[in-house]
Amino acid sequence: MKRNIELYGRLRDAGLGDRVTLVLPDGATARQALDQLRRALGRRAALLAGCALATDEAVLGPAERVPATGRLAALPPVCGG
Amino acid sequence: MRRIAIVTRSRLTPASLEAAVASPRHGAIATFAGAVRATHAGRRVTGISYDCFAPLAEKELRLIIHQAEKKWPVKAAAAHRVGRLKVGEMSVFVAAGSAHRPEAFAACRWVIDEIKRRLPVWKKEHYARGDGRWLPGCALHRRKS
Repeated sequence: MKRNIELYGRLRDAGLGDRVTLVLPDGATARQALDQLRRALGRRAALLAGCALATDEAVLGPAERVPATGRLAALPPVCGG
Repeated sequence: MRRIAIVTRSRLTPASLEAAVASPRHGAIATFAGAVRATHAGRRVTGISYDCFAPLAEKELRLIIHQAEKKWPVKAAAAHRVGRLKVGEMSVFVAAGSAHRPEAFAACRWVIDEIKRRLPVWKKEHYARGDGRWLPGCALHRRKS
């Protein structure tokens, strides 16, 4: 399945723009999606340290399946306020 | 319906949040305002850009307010601004109203601490020399149900 991953915070400066398209196997987990995003980032892969994958409803655990539809985002460690 | 959890690109309006937590039963309203400061770690700051995953941020902020109102006998409200802010502009505002001040102070502090720990918001400081950097933060994890 082809999925757009929205990029936020420091990931916006990774040279990929504000989103990246990944082709994931059906039933892929959040961990697999992040691994593939890590490869897409290449030499900037260290930016993914501490990042989580989330839908617009919840942060996904590493073993959770990536939904086939809806928004997906890669979220760096947060620092609001 | 009172809006108690707001993520917005517009200037914050503390009076509306204070009104949202006011009640004839409340003798105390505690508030916290966070603003962009002019220096950080010895560097002169000209502004901060706040980035946000809006749908999750609004949901999480509503949940934080709901949890505060379960932990203490308070009404709470909070707003977080996103976009580019100048030095001195208000980035976050929290209000908690209660019968007495101890629970209002406690809830207000808890809400801002949880905002910093849980809200999917990121800030990039802009410095006087023209460079900038994203600030480090707290990793998000799946919530245990």
